[in-house]
Amino acid sequence: MTAAISDYNGHFSIQASAQDTLVVSYLGFKTVYVPVNSRTKIDIVLHYDTTTLQEVRINAGYYTVKESERTGSIARITSKDIETQPVTNVLATMQGRMAGVNIIQTTGVPGGGFDIKIRGQNSLRTTANNPLYIIDGVPFASDPIGYSQTSTIYPSSTSPLNSINPETIESIEVLKDADATSIYGSRGANGVVLITTKKGKSGRTKFTVSSSTGAGKATKFMKLMDTEQYLAMRKQAFINDGIPQYGTSDYDINGTWNQNRNTDWQRELMGGTSQLNDLQGSVSGGSEKTQFLIGGNYHQESTVYSGDFKYKKGGLQFSLNHASKDDRFHINFSGVYNIQNSSLPANELTYAAQTLAPNAPSLYNSDGSLNWENQTWQNPLAMLNAQFKAKTKDLVANAVLSYKLMPELTVKSNFGYTDLRTNETRTTPSTIYDPIYNISSSRSSMFSNITGRSSWIVEPQLNWDKEANFGKLGLLIGATFQNQNSSALYQSGTGFSSNSLIYNLAAAKTVSVLGDDETVYRYQAFFARLNYSYQQRYIINLTARRDGSSRFGPGRQFASFGAAGFAWLFSNEKFLKNSTWLSFGKIRGSYGTTGNDQIGDYQYLNTYTTTGINYNGTVGMQPSRLFNPDFSWEINKKMELALETGFFNDRIFTTVSWYSNRSSNQLVGIPLSGVTGFASIQANLNAEVENSGLELTLRSLNLKIKNVQWQTNFNLSFAKNRLVSFPGLESSTYSQRYRIGQPLNIALVYQLKGVNQQTGIYEFEDLNGDGKISYPLDRQKTVNLNPKYYGGLQNQLSYKNWNLDFLFQFAKQQNRLVPMGAAGSMSNQPARTADAWLQAGDIKPYQVYTTGVNNVAVNADSYFSESDALISDSSFIRLKNISLTYQLPLKFTETSCKIVFQGQNLLTFTKFKDGDPEFSSYGFLPPLKVITAGILLTF
Amino acid sequence: MRLLNKQLSILIVFLAFYACDSFVETNLPKSQLSSSSVFENYETANAALMNIYAKLRDTGILTGTGNGLSNALGNYTDELTAYGTPTSTNMAFYNNALLPGSTVISSLWNASYNQIYAANALIEGLDKNTWLTSDNKKQLLGEALFLRAVVHFYLTNLFGDVPYITATDYKQNSTATKIGRKVIYGSIIADLETASALLPVSYSSNARGRANKLVCRALLSRVYLYNKSYAEAANEASALINSTNLYGLESDLNNVFLINSKETIWQFESASAGQNTKEGSIFIFTAGPPASVAVNTVLASSFAAGDQRKSKWLKAITKGTDIWYHPYKYKEQSNTSASKEYSVVLRLAEQYLIRAEARAAQGDLIGAKEDLNKIRLRSGLQNTQAASKEQLLAAVQSERRWELFTEYGHRFFDLKRLDQLDAALSSVKAGWNTEDSLFPIPQSELGNNPKLLPQNPGY
Repeated sequence: MTAAISDYNGHFSIQASAQDTLVVSYLGFKTVYVPVNSRTKIDIVLHYDTTTLQEVRINAGYYTVKESERTGSIARITSKDIETQPVTNVLATMQGRMAGVNIIQTTGVPGGGFDIKIRGQNSLRTTANNPLYIIDGVPFASDPIGYSQTSTIYPSSTSPLNSINPETIESIEVLKDADATSIYGSRGANGVVLITTKKGKSGRTKFTVSSSTGAGKATKFMKLMDTEQYLAMRKQAFINDGIPQYGTSDYDINGTWNQNRNTDWQRELMGGTSQLNDLQGSVSGGSEKTQFLIGGNYHQESTVYSGDFKYKKGGLQFSLNHASKDDRFHINFSGVYNIQNSSLPANELTYAAQTLAPNAPSLYNSDGSLNWENQTWQNPLAMLNAQFKAKTKDLVANAVLSYKLMPELTVKSNFGYTDLRTNETRTTPSTIYDPIYNISSSRSSMFSNITGRSSWIVEPQLNWDKEANFGKLGLLIGATFQNQNSSALYQSGTGFSSNSLIYNLAAAKTVSVLGDDETVYRYQAFFARLNYSYQQRYIINLTARRDGSSRFGPGRQFASFGAAGFAWLFSNEKFLKNSTWLSFGKIRGSYGTTGNDQIGDYQYLNTYTTTGINYNGTVGMQPSRLFNPDFSWEINKKMELALETGFFNDRIFTTVSWYSNRSSNQLVGIPLSGVTGFASIQANLNAEVENSGLELTLRSLNLKIKNVQWQTNFNLSFAKNRLVSFPGLESSTYSQRYRIGQPLNIALVYQLKGVNQQTGIYEFEDLNGDGKISYPLDRQKTVNLNPKYYGGLQNQLSYKNWNLDFLFQFAKQQNRLVPMGAAGSMSNQPARTADAWLQAGDIKPYQVYTTGVNNVAVNADSYFSESDALISDSSFIRLKNISLTYQLPLKFTETSCKIVFQGQNLLTFTKFKDGDPEFSSYGFLPPLKVITAGILLTF
Repeated sequence: MRLLNKQLSILIVFLAFYACDSFVETNLPKSQLSSSSVFENYETANAALMNIYAKLRDTGILTGTGNGLSNALGNYTDELTAYGTPTSTNMAFYNNALLPGSTVISSLWNASYNQIYAANALIEGLDKNTWLTSDNKKQLLGEALFLRAVVHFYLTNLFGDVPYITATDYKQNSTATKIGRKVIYGSIIADLETASALLPVSYSSNARGRANKLVCRALLSRVYLYNKSYAEAANEASALINSTNLYGLESDLNNVFLINSKETIWQFESASAGQNTKEGSIFIFTAGPPASVAVNTVLASSFAAGDQRKSKWLKAITKGTDIWYHPYKYKEQSNTSASKEYSVVLRLAEQYLIRAEARAAQGDLIGAKEDLNKIRLRSGLQNTQAASKEQLLAAVQSERRWELFTEYGHRFFDLKRLDQLDAALSSVKAGWNTEDSLFPIPQSELGNNPKLLPQNPGY
């Protein structure tokens, strides 16, 4: 018996005798038996066997499970979906492709972050809703690695997730229900993201090289006033305020600035094109017993700002699998090392771009130098002299050793190590100021952040599998020991002898150490899984875990979690076995508990922290926090019921799952009045949050004829989030944030009645009837800011050598418009504000303009910005991704060459008025639309 | 190999079930110290105290940065004019258009109560303490009480009725109620008296950066003046004025704000050698038009001819026919090789003016003139022409305006305590309203603790 593996084009050669029969198989295709019949050249066509997609083994973390036999809720994408996308963040690759997984990009600046919520927000603690990330069995801490003083360009502190390179990923599995997540115990409440990197395959040594290049532009800007509208507003504001003369600093209308200029500052400052380049290569192959893969990649992109800003990312990947001759001993080793190097502006220009007067002066003088227009403005480009540089190195290495003691019994251990180092600096050189002020480098300053995080994990396990007439029984027991050390050193330097030395702390006149800390997080667990399957029809899966975490005080460190799952493959029952239309049918369900320990380290201690700040020759110490030694585990109960059905040989495959998760004993930083000296206290709150929803997926092979194939994937999630109970909410500090029966993500707003025809001032519903508008009793209207439903529709079309893959992402939701302050001062406004009240009797949507001195109007505007008038429909349909591939018809048997065009965020349909609808926060650069072209060579 | 594997696996299994609770117990992080051990020796207890001074210097009400009162209340009244973007915090103060939801307001509030918490934590830590010597304890306790009083004093003058916090228990403090001004003043006076009794006359910091007995008395004299307790105010001022071994007026105005000025009663030491004041760095500009603030023309044009405070404490910047002034009490805009100036919080000139006012109010016109003229002569002016009590009181107010401008909001507090805000500001500030005499209580506070309701009028 001999074997051969085909190349990329499907060519193969094999030694066989004339009477032999070839057995040709490939995952996802029906196996065919071809008698050789003395032929030397045989053409074989494999047919899709969609049923065997059910044979794919899904990674469930500590174990793998056959797709058809899984009892838990697991969503999955593979490298095929990832490769079509020109993105650098692992979360971006999942956007719109998984039911129940809602991902939002928070900034278009490269290296920025994404928000992810798997089946909604469980914890009132807004920073504690992150899933657990596991790369090849090693937990990857997703806590921010940035520092508020350095990573100012991003909406939130730098996320380490950018270190993960999507191109190294073979598959991403997202574990959602209790059956899948309970084995992760205290860290499974918000779901688990399992990332499996690419591995080598036995066979011919294969080389892959790909290169692509592209361009990106901001998706969508706000519509702001032009000069004509703006100046009319300004003039009217002075009339309204009864100020007869323009002030000396009202440069926009007092004649200082040219009133004929009209600049769209958003385009001017953020409308540039970013360049993307990407290069990857890998070598893989091996023998039956040993396989390897070595890969490398490099990516760089510039920004939409003017100036030489770059985000670069490069990495190495290595994987080695080996099995002993008797196949009893296995070792898998994999390592990924990534380096990111960014050189970006320190500050966003969004705010400046939105507020600058449209007739503000030009950016440059005729000689190319920055124009300061006789000190009448702060040239926004000068802000770009303040820079943010970051270098992050990240290593994730993992070894799995296993030994089969007996045919049924395997002992195994997983050893993992991670090491992340980041070094960030933000500079504020004197060159951000107008040179006429003669501010020298002695006022330049810089902040630096050196953060490191390393962890090791050891997870010994015993695996026992037995198949007999009583059925199939699998037992897994294991333990986890994990240790994570984090260190951070924050420093600042001011007063440099030269701005060229600004990155050198030694050249600073004053150096302050703002923080120097090392923390340890330790975690220990025992877990077990019992899986029983009877006749491929009934499956029971029990999982349990006992967890200890150093994040809790003495006596409260341990807690237990567990779940039970079942599946009934009713299509394997006799009465359906031979159904012509139903090819697969399964009902599965699960119930269980998980927890959440995302509360930060040492929170239970009563301590003083050194501040690094000197007074009277002494470095100060301050109380670290209000402390509470008694907080303990948050409990999350999850329930799920699902129906999976395949029709017509699984050409149509659907999943419907219903889930209901409840989190109680909420562990939160309860907000406190500032009078207590602090903003919050860590404690358990007797509040319960429910996330429930319905998730639908549909996979359909619509068309499959000669040369042509069309497949559709559709996912749709209806998610409901609800605060079920909260005893004492009214008298708590959450009284103005949450409402029982409503989602956590609500806005409490004033209700706008309109603009008073006589006074021209906004009027609001006076809910408490006291004759005036005041916080909080009049700010009681509830607006739901959670998406009602969201999902994605993917189509994959192939015709001969052509492949087209496109994904529409959609969401039905509401969001806030951008509040721009009271209209009339020297700050631009949304164009719609031009329709403002002018004189008694006017019926207008926007109130009277003011230069800022009309207190009543300013106050009314502040209510307006917190009113329902600023809540808008932000539903959208977006062509998230499109990819067109053409495979060159080459004659070489072992070589393939593909030409690939990819696009991201190319089209967006929305009614939202203030920029990108996907955004949940304002004031940041919207996501980019990106087009790339590339070539992929395999030989 | 096989045997080895077997042994290895047994070892692993053994390890796995060797459950040890101690694995998840961790030591303290290297930057933290348990609160009890902080008070076991003087150095760490002192570090906790020094940090309160550092916080006052760097955050909240008394900081010299833009959000501190020198700049904020300068803009809020007729001392400064704001330039720059309309959304800058200066502009909100300048337009007298403060919003309850603004972070400037909440950060002033939160920083102040955080400072008060730190003082209370220290006071409580010292209370049960048996480790420190009684002298050490008295020193630390006295200063902490003084700091607690200072912050409450400014809070009540800005926000009206506020809670007076004397303990760290968050359960109580999170539902603290507002207390009337009279009671707050009583508590401030009590704290200052206790502090004064605990502290020595001598400074424990050469740079006068820490409170001693006389610093407490200097603040007391102001508190009494605000309280219209004139006899006590005059008494306390005399205690300072008579301490001639420590204090005296500098004859040259350019020396008043230097580090070694004899006039300084209490100032904030800088965080590091070479640093100068934050006031210097935000006020000084070298070319016009100004980028953020300049002296209000109302103030600049109010100085009498020959008043050296205009020539030495203001600096004119011209461009063509335009002229702007910036406050020039602090001459250093950035670092120097050794620090030349610290932010002065209390100084002797104020004590003369307090006593002048107190004496005049009590009918001691001669004494009042004597004190007032000390300040006038030093500035190159003639003796005052004021003859009647009313004229003299008015003259003291004008003198306070010229002497104390852009120093922690004197102008605002003076107009307010004398009920002259509307009269003085309505005509020169387009955005001025009667209700602007109080800042709004931060909106989030009203939500977090409904006992702080109602909001101050006008917001």
